[in-house]
Amino acid sequence: MAAVTTPLSKPAHADTDYAHVAHDEHVAHGGHVETYAERLRLNRMGMWLFFISEAFLFGALLAARFYLWGDTRPHLDQMVGLIVTTVLLLSSISMYTADTAAEHGQWRVFSIACWATMILGLVFLFGVMIFEWGLFPGIYKGHLTPWGDKYGAVVFAMTGMHALHVISGVVLIFIMWRLARRGKFTPERHWGIEAAAIYWHYVDVVWIFFYPALYLIGVAAGGGH
Amino acid sequence: MGHYRTGIIIALVLAVITVVEFWIALTTHSVVFLMLIAALKAILVIWFFMHVKRLWAAEGGH
Repeated sequence: MAAVTTPLSKPAHADTDYAHVAHDEHVAHGGHVETYAERLRLNRMGMWLFFISEAFLFGALLAARFYLWGDTRPHLDQMVGLIVTTVLLLSSISMYTADTAAEHGQWRVFSIACWATMILGLVFLFGVMIFEWGLFPGIYKGHLTPWGDKYGAVVFAMTGMHALHVISGVVLIFIMWRLARRGKFTPERHWGIEAAAIYWHYVDVVWIFFYPALYLIGVAAGGGH
Repeated sequence: MGHYRTGIIIALVLAVITVVEFWIALTTHSVVFLMLIAALKAILVIWFFMHVKRLWAAEGGH
């Protein structure tokens, strides 16, 4: 695939943080002089610290699942679980493609991959909302409610918290796509895109654990369909 | 396409692991086994897609 090194519209502006600074130039910051590479490293560390803190949140939800359900699980549609899991995995691949394309200045590929990720993310979201939450009974009548029993409560807590992260991930990717269109990123300077990408992959990692916990582990019991 | 080769390979590996995971769930009810498979998938995503090794890269890591 031929590299297209021009941004979607126009070059990066000097008012963007660090965009006008060469890689080895120093930027004064409250007396402390740091390079872009140092700032990038700090940004990445901050992002991973955030992921660790989120791991406690999702870990607590997993713990609640195993404590309340034990070796049982509700009747959930296995085909729905497999389909939404596949969709989310595909979205991770498209986001990886977008991230890689940005690294190599392939902005058209980046744009297409971003939209693929957003669309797949929304497909996942609506798949869960329609077929697990039963949010639109006209389309599909769900059998679980958050207040019904321990199965419904845990399913809605886990998938609901995950869905919030899916929504915020889609919004974040859209913002990065918009910024890229305005030429805010370069192959050398695209932390925003990288951050959105690894955030999206984190959402996928969470589902990698949630999927077996909700759909596969334990014997199907009452409390669902 | 060389830049994207890693993603394609990992995607195929993840797909295969997911199928294996589903089959294992149907044939056994092993919590440990299924969580280990999930951990394996997570490690693949974290290592190859999330570029965790850039945390300790010498420079910016791009």
